[in-house]
Amino acid sequence: MFGNTGKIIKIDLESGRTAIESLPEAYYRNFIGGSGLAAKYFWENGDFGVDPLAPAAMLIFMNGPLAGLRLSGASRGSVAARSPLTGNWGDSSCGGYFAPALRYAGFDGIVITGRSSSPVWLQIDPTGVTLRAADDLWGQTTSETDRALKAENGRFCRTLVIGPAGEHGVRYANIMNEAHHAFGRAGFGAVMGSKNLKAIAVNAGKNRMQLADPQKFADLRRTLNQQVRDSITGMVLGELGTAARLEYGVCNGDVPIRNWTSSFWEEMGEALTGDALSETYLTGRKACAFCSIACKRVVRVDDGPFAVANGPGPEYETIVSFGALLGSMDLAATCRAGRVCNELGLDTISAGATLAWATEAMHKQALSEEKTAGMRLQWGDMQTYIGLLPQIARRQGPFGNLLADGSVAAARKTGEQTLAYTAHSKGLEAPMHDPRGGGHGLALAYAVSPRGGCHVATTMLPMEAGACYYPEIDFDLDLEPMTGRDKPLAAVVAAEIGAIENSACFCQFADREITLPQWVDLFNTVAGYDWNIRTMLRAGRRVFYLKRLLNFRYGRTAADDTLPPRMLEPARDGEPEGIQINFEEMKAAFYDLMGLDPQKGIPSREVLETYQMPAEASVVWEA
Amino acid sequence: MSEYYRDQEHLYEVYNYFLEQVLRDEKIGPKMSRANIIIKFIYTDPESEITIDLKSPPAKEGMYGTFYLGPCDLKEDVWSKQSADHSHRFWHGFENPIAAVTRGKVKQGGKITAMLKLLPVVKPTFKRFPQVLEEMGYAEMVVKNR
Repeated sequence: MFGNTGKIIKIDLESGRTAIESLPEAYYRNFIGGSGLAAKYFWENGDFGVDPLAPAAMLIFMNGPLAGLRLSGASRGSVAARSPLTGNWGDSSCGGYFAPALRYAGFDGIVITGRSSSPVWLQIDPTGVTLRAADDLWGQTTSETDRALKAENGRFCRTLVIGPAGEHGVRYANIMNEAHHAFGRAGFGAVMGSKNLKAIAVNAGKNRMQLADPQKFADLRRTLNQQVRDSITGMVLGELGTAARLEYGVCNGDVPIRNWTSSFWEEMGEALTGDALSETYLTGRKACAFCSIACKRVVRVDDGPFAVANGPGPEYETIVSFGALLGSMDLAATCRAGRVCNELGLDTISAGATLAWATEAMHKQALSEEKTAGMRLQWGDMQTYIGLLPQIARRQGPFGNLLADGSVAAARKTGEQTLAYTAHSKGLEAPMHDPRGGGHGLALAYAVSPRGGCHVATTMLPMEAGACYYPEIDFDLDLEPMTGRDKPLAAVVAAEIGAIENSACFCQFADREITLPQWVDLFNTVAGYDWNIRTMLRAGRRVFYLKRLLNFRYGRTAADDTLPPRMLEPARDGEPEGIQINFEEMKAAFYDLMGLDPQKGIPSREVLETYQMPAEASVVWEA
Repeated sequence: MSEYYRDQEHLYEVYNYFLEQVLRDEKIGPKMSRANIIIKFIYTDPESEITIDLKSPPAKEGMYGTFYLGPCDLKEDVWSKQSADHSHRFWHGFENPIAAVTRGKVKQGGKITAMLKLLPVVKPTFKRFPQVLEEMGYAEMVVKNR
């Protein structure tokens, strides 16, 4: 097998047994790698009746075929499982340094089941795979754990770590790499915690990767790295970070404010934008493995209530979810909130969104002080919000415990009327891009995304922003964000390419600069897939379909492809004020184009067979 | 052949009037001057050049920057090259600046991040530009829709 190693580590934490499993080459060719390969593995081997936090639940880490190949943006990794936050199939992507280390150790992935009787961490090094006691690490923050593992295994060991939030089953607990990069979404830190697995540490071996055409790949890599390095996107993100366009986004109504109740706040845009961070607290920039963009921020806040030592800084999603969304334009507070979330192992998007829901519920007298243990939440009161995070992470008190389940579950427990204050898709809190201003196609993309409210599962966000188009497949429409025109077709293209990106584990910033023919060349020179553009896009479509089938088996149907009223009602101010999203019309057209059954929400048997998925078709259509 | 401008002189006449207003505007002018850069716009069809100096003290009282029509000796921090017609539509708010760069309709160089910061600042002028054309007696140059 070229590119991929073809091998995964299987661990049963109950028995402590480990095994090496070889995967069929067809899995790779048909489902690419990363989240697509994880979905296929689960489809073949998973148990759909298992609770996400039960011992038998399966947690899958999977690389893409390009990990470790010294190509900008290509060394991210995926984690996938049934999400404890949504109850649906979920996956999450992370940059950083873990995926290449796992590849150099000789593996494409790790599949974990069972629950250890006591806390453990998993050691992977050239001598083998070992479970080690983690009693002394349990309860520690992510950076403390990372430091302890590096002290024992050397500073070049790469770690995946959960914090107290994962240990306490917070349903949006994340998994941190090097205490700076996050598998942020859908709560997989809680899955690790439920298995008593505190961390995974890899000391890379020196496995050489076999490539289909090493010389051609070397030439291509040189070209692509140069393209990414010289791109305007790369330059802007490197200089100003992922919040570079925040001010422009505010101007367009893309940035949700005070729990999505407002779409314009000019001073906030100026206060929180990437430029402002560069001028105030930025002390350095960091990059994921082999990336020439370096969009990661390093910050220090010297004094005041939100002082933080030099270390990882907030990216766009954190800045908005702990800024505009909570009615704050205090940049220092976003630095502090991001750091506290990282240390505790909390997803910043869901954490900020859940606090925003609680604040509105309290303002509307729907959340009593009895439920909040006397705590008052006020827009912009960042000290209170940040002070609540450790209580959430440790499920302390009734309020911390309520918020630890995420906004949708908390709303259901609080009162059905408070569901009106949630902004999510399929239970996953929406990211910090408001489709009403950012682009109506994004509403469709959020709604039909298998994992729920997600801006990186597809390429719709950059397509509507104008940052990418695909002339090679005759998709060169100039998309106008605030209409539904051409969006169903755009959503099809975005779903296919998004599935390829997330299966190849490629960064969405870096791969903007790579054309579709270059994508094909990458897969062919590395993995020898012998693809053309059409067959590559078919693989992307196949991955999208498979994730729909997984959700179907969890009971999701077409009715779940929707958004709550808060995200669809016309904006009250700013650029998108009063504009209605024609959601149902876009969804119906998308279903037609994708061949999805209007009730079940899955592809018809004929469509599945066309995509070489007859076995899958039999399972869902004969059930 | 430009759809909107007869020649270079015509273009300079329009932008002279427009930029004078923008750089005097009490809300927009101060925000523009905070960019602290020199921008050169290079237009094709008709070939022309406009430099906006937001770095040096303004040459005229009441303005927040200085602009120069035609070639000038100032060394720009950032440059942007596009057709005059594209620029004309941009100032109506009908061109997505990000898409224009992605599709190669606009070429840029230098300190692009500083230019990016100006995008939200100049957005309010999109309503003003068609008004300027009408005030100048060029109602036929107003672009009605995308």
